Amino acid sequence: MTAAVAAGLPGRLGRVDLSRPVVLLLAAVLCLLIVLPVSWLVYFAFTDRDGLPTFANFAPLFSDPAYTEPMITTLVISVSVGLACAAVAAPMGWLVARTDVPFARTIRSLIMASFVTPPFLGAIAWEILAAPNSGMLNQWYRELTGAPPDQHLFNIYSLTGVIFVIACYTFPYVFVLVANALERIPGELEDASSILGGRAWHTARRITVPLALPALLAGCLVAFLQAMTLFGSPAILALPAGFHTMTTKIWSLFQYPPKPGLAAACSLPLLLLTVVLLRAQHMILGRRSYQVIGGKSGAPRVIRLGPWRWLALAVCLIVLLNPVFLPYLGLVKAAFTHVFSQPLTLKNLTLEHVDFVFFEFSSTRLALKNTFLLGILAATLGSGLALVIAYATARRVVAGYRVLDFFATAPVAIPAIVLGVGLFLAYTRPPFVLYGTLSILLIAFVTIQLPAAYQQLQSAFRAVNPELEEASRILGATRLQALRHITAPLLRSGVIAAWCFIFIGTIRELSAAIMLFTADTKVISVVIFDLNENGHLGPISVLGILMLVITFAVVTLANRLHGSGAWRGQRVTG
Amino acid sequence: MARVALRNLVKRYGDLAVVDRISLDIDHGQLVCLLGPSGCGKTTTLRLIAGFIEPTEGEIQVGERVVSSPARAIEPQLRNMSMIFQSYALWPHMTVMENVAYGLRLRKLDRDVIRDKVRAILNMTKLAEFEDRYPADLSGGQQQRVALARALVVEPETLLLDEPLSNLDANLREEMRFEVRRLHDQYRYTTVYVTHDQAEAMTAADRIVVMNKGRIEQTGTPEEIYRRPRSEFVARFIGGANILRGPSLDARHMRFSGVVLRCGDAEIALNGHAALSIRHHDIRLLGAPPSSAENVVPAKVARQVFLGGMRDYLVETHDGTQLRVVTSAEHSFAPGSAVWLHLPPESCRALVS
Repeated sequence: MTAAVAAGLPGRLGRVDLSRPVVLLLAAVLCLLIVLPVSWLVYFAFTDRDGLPTFANFAPLFSDPAYTEPMITTLVISVSVGLACAAVAAPMGWLVARTDVPFARTIRSLIMASFVTPPFLGAIAWEILAAPNSGMLNQWYRELTGAPPDQHLFNIYSLTGVIFVIACYTFPYVFVLVANALERIPGELEDASSILGGRAWHTARRITVPLALPALLAGCLVAFLQAMTLFGSPAILALPAGFHTMTTKIWSLFQYPPKPGLAAACSLPLLLLTVVLLRAQHMILGRRSYQVIGGKSGAPRVIRLGPWRWLALAVCLIVLLNPVFLPYLGLVKAAFTHVFSQPLTLKNLTLEHVDFVFFEFSSTRLALKNTFLLGILAATLGSGLALVIAYATARRVVAGYRVLDFFATAPVAIPAIVLGVGLFLAYTRPPFVLYGTLSILLIAFVTIQLPAAYQQLQSAFRAVNPELEEASRILGATRLQALRHITAPLLRSGVIAAWCFIFIGTIRELSAAIMLFTADTKVISVVIFDLNENGHLGPISVLGILMLVITFAVVTLANRLHGSGAWRGQRVTG
Repeated sequence: MARVALRNLVKRYGDLAVVDRISLDIDHGQLVCLLGPSGCGKTTTLRLIAGFIEPTEGEIQVGERVVSSPARAIEPQLRNMSMIFQSYALWPHMTVMENVAYGLRLRKLDRDVIRDKVRAILNMTKLAEFEDRYPADLSGGQQQRVALARALVVEPETLLLDEPLSNLDANLREEMRFEVRRLHDQYRYTTVYVTHDQAEAMTAADRIVVMNKGRIEQTGTPEEIYRRPRSEFVARFIGGANILRGPSLDARHMRFSGVVLRCGDAEIALNGHAALSIRHHDIRLLGAPPSSAENVVPAKVARQVFLGGMRDYLVETHDGTQLRVVTSAEHSFAPGSAVWLHLPPESCRALVS
């Protein structure tokens, strides 16, 4: 009651009022990260070579088939991916969240594995599996059926292939949203319907589905956005097939000779559509309030499938073949065989790709060094920045906290490739010439990862009741002592988790890096992309496996730390 | 001597005065309850005293020292106060021992001294066996006692309690009310206790300050507040009362439902409209008109409920006013029957409207 009013006040940091300089400094940093690239993007989109205002850059978007076709392709891909994800993720979410399907935890972990697999790596793995000639699946098919060598079962270099591969690594978004929503529906709501005479099917149709529908819809929008803004998978699969999506088109406009005006003009629709769809998603999820009506909510009701549960498990595992089992198998085989399309024999086994990647190929070591340096720096700077902003906004220490909140969340609406274009335009000219340095990549990565880290830390702060700090103050601690003794230890696991997630987000980033790298500032993802253009799938697999191992190790570490501590599971709010 | 004085204290958020010119003197060793409904400004007042927020106007003095004024506010940690929070605010990453020892460690006391003091207070609050537990492993009542121990161990000049019992279940709450009073009698810290529960206030307080809409409605001992409510708000909020309205006749008399009523004490405001309060059980219910007609109002029974030890009536006077009357269980009047209400003048309190 009154305490809540009081908490909403600008306070003072000790004797000196530091709030103003702190806000100004943070706002300046965030401006540099966000406003500057977006402004340059808009400027370039609306000016010609001489800097005179024009709409000419947008003309080809509507008239030239070289631009209209990629737009249509992108729409087709995005809609298909959205629908496909919903079709797969909704039943799986229901099975895992509400039924007694065996090994539900394992299924969840496997879905998380596909979640953290870099999509471009998945695309490459599917090249190994389903390229028309060399693809492992097609080889098996020919061996089994005796079909002639020019016949194939799958062709991953196709529109269907692109949609399939993107959907493989996008459906976890929908799954997580749907499964969480289904878990949050208290069993009583359904019991209430049953007790009023609703049959099981009726209850499902009138209660469960409507309550889970917003999450499904929001998930579809996220899948749509992912598919629309992804660069790696279409670049790997669509370009060999001879067609473009918007992202690959934007990228190609930066190949020699660069056409920044056109690229900027192509980027703006992506940016606008993302903003609009995220608003829509926010509104859909924002109406969720009816889900939390009522006090204590019981555990969700588990539906017993009886013998059918083994069938359910089989279906889940078959689905998971596509994003996890088969691609990982392909990567492992390609990494350790001379020719991955040949049968697995002792003669075919080799460590030559490992040798090539780590000792012969000069780019790798530099790229590894760059990647780790950037990962560590981005994670440290990003979580630090997110921490300070989250403190300022969650505790409302400063008057302008809403501005900070907006800026820290805004990058979520900027597709990585668009940010890459904007940063390229912004930092290749005075006053900040950063192109060709690691700094520009660092800025890109921090900006891309900031919203997620910020949201995580903000909820971590919210979970720490301000009274915990006040209790320390009134017993004799200064503001800083209270932060050190009370707040910091309680936030530690949240900060470590945020750090880890920025780190893995950074080491797998391709869309922005592809716009910003130079010979000296290559990162692993870019090296993989380069190697793919030259058809070196073996070395890629080695690098890809390395990347996956690091990613899983860090995720596991983060999860473990997040769940540790003697006070785990208790209400930190007291 | 830790006398706490609030002088014309105002706290405004935008245009809203959450605390509106509050003046209050709390003597050394006194336990004062700020009592009022949600949003009456009592918690804000407490937080002003603690120094978590600064006043818009007015000042707070502790002993000879001005601790809060719009120009200058001493930080909370320098006020030598302790506070018990509604959420208890126990630090989940520290054991009971560490929680309790925290304030002493900040005071840089000797290690042995700290241990002895912590032991003593843990024994005092019956927590000795839990010293190595984490707060999450304790029951609500135990958590509550840790909060008490943590606040008391630093021997504050002033102790502040913010709805300390509101998270406990009913039985425990009743028990802890007496515990708070017992500890206060033992230590005699100047104490400000915020609550919305009148029973809690009645049990614990030397003095009750009833607050409403950021202002003080009435200050007095529990008995004074109950027996002589000065405003309709206090009459209704403490113990429940019937409010009778009508034109005033003179300083002692008013007209209600066609009958002249005499008030026992306090002057009726002579602005034409008078209001008086009478407790539910102070009204006597009669089946026939009494011989002496003073302060007798005819009425009709609208509803009666048998509550075991007593009966709870709702009666309606001729002008349509509904009154609640609580009587002993013996007399029973059926709904619809005519009754006469005797309102003893000494139980009728004129209210400041």
